[in-house]
Amino acid sequence: MTDITRRSVQVLASAALGLGLLAAFAGNPDFASSARVDVRSLARNVEAEEDHVTAVELAEWIKDRRPGLRVVDVRPADEFDAYHVPTAENIPLDKLVDTPFRKDETIVLYSGGGAHAAQGWVFLRALGLPHVYFLRDGLTEWLEDVINPVISAAPTDSARNSFARAADLSRYFGGVPRAGEPATVAPLHELSHKSLAKKDSTTGSTAAAVLRIRGRGC
Amino acid sequence: MIAPFNEYGLLSDGAGLWIALVIGLGFGWCLERAGMGSARKLAGQFYLTDLTVFKVMFTAILTAMLGVFWLGWLGVLNIGRVYVPETFILPQLVGGVVFGIGFAAAGLCPGTSCVSAVTGRGDGAMAVLGMFTGIFATGIFFGSLESFYNSTARGQLTLPAVFHVSYGIVVFAIVLVALAGFFIAERLERRAQIRGERPA
Repeated sequence: MTDITRRSVQVLASAALGLGLLAAFAGNPDFASSARVDVRSLARNVEAEEDHVTAVELAEWIKDRRPGLRVVDVRPADEFDAYHVPTAENIPLDKLVDTPFRKDETIVLYSGGGAHAAQGWVFLRALGLPHVYFLRDGLTEWLEDVINPVISAAPTDSARNSFARAADLSRYFGGVPRAGEPATVAPLHELSHKSLAKKDSTTGSTAAAVLRIRGRGC
Repeated sequence: MIAPFNEYGLLSDGAGLWIALVIGLGFGWCLERAGMGSARKLAGQFYLTDLTVFKVMFTAILTAMLGVFWLGWLGVLNIGRVYVPETFILPQLVGGVVFGIGFAAAGLCPGTSCVSAVTGRGDGAMAVLGMFTGIFATGIFFGSLESFYNSTARGQLTLPAVFHVSYGIVVFAIVLVALAGFFIAERLERRAQIRGERPA
């Protein structure tokens, strides 16, 4: 070993030792726990109502198979197992920041009410993901507006139109729209959809889930 | 590429493959220049006469570990998004034994066998052939191997989580182990060299 080689080996070994010793005092590396947030831009998003989607919009996105859509249920696993929005994946809030998302994905978060999903929205936006939304009233909104939409006794024209849209989606997701809506048979191409394959079984469990979730009062 | 470049969408899968090709060629070139295409040099590790491979591997581990730790600490790299391979105790033990037998018998490991084959060595070509035969056979019999393949799963285990210490402590401990390893390796090599110069 030449002198120069020996000296560089010694320098590199000392550098490694120094960095290793410092590491022992540095503790843990940064696990995404200190992302930067542009609070002004987030506040503008919220003010312009660009932070959330309605349940009906989400239902349309799922039905249209919007490219890059990821529906994320941030509730605990047992609640997710009992009932969840079709196509949703279960990522509890504490795992959310460690989950890899791509910047080009559209991420929709929902929880039982709306608070946890909204908090998750802040985390993911802080991590620099641009297309993140949440359901403002959570699963309750999904169940009320998509699965079991209700129309008032004397609806206005616009209410009737939006109900028709919601009723269509409701049937697609195996729900039961209520009010003076004539019983119609879903078109065949819709019946062939995966979510409708188990329509009879899901309708029952959906109704039970609605009762459970309403009963919990969240 | 498993590193966060893909996940953040900074690199497409195609670009990742091209970069892998460039890095792979560079890696192979360096291995060849360091004499790692020779089974004699690699086998020297098992006779404690030439511990180059050991030193190269530990240098790579130290460099990568210190880089990842400090980049993570400075907030440049989000370690939470770097993929940690899962632990499967039994299959990985068996895999390690199979790998070790192959390494000792051929005197070459996967990367160096490719380097050796490219430089025209027959033993290297046979090792590459054996490696691909093994991959092919595993693919064919995967159905019957699958339950074993997925057995004794322990998820993503890391040393800090197992020993309940901070990452920094583990980094420091591994630096100490590596430096001690280098020191011992150099002494063993020197002893082998002296013995070699003095014919028995």
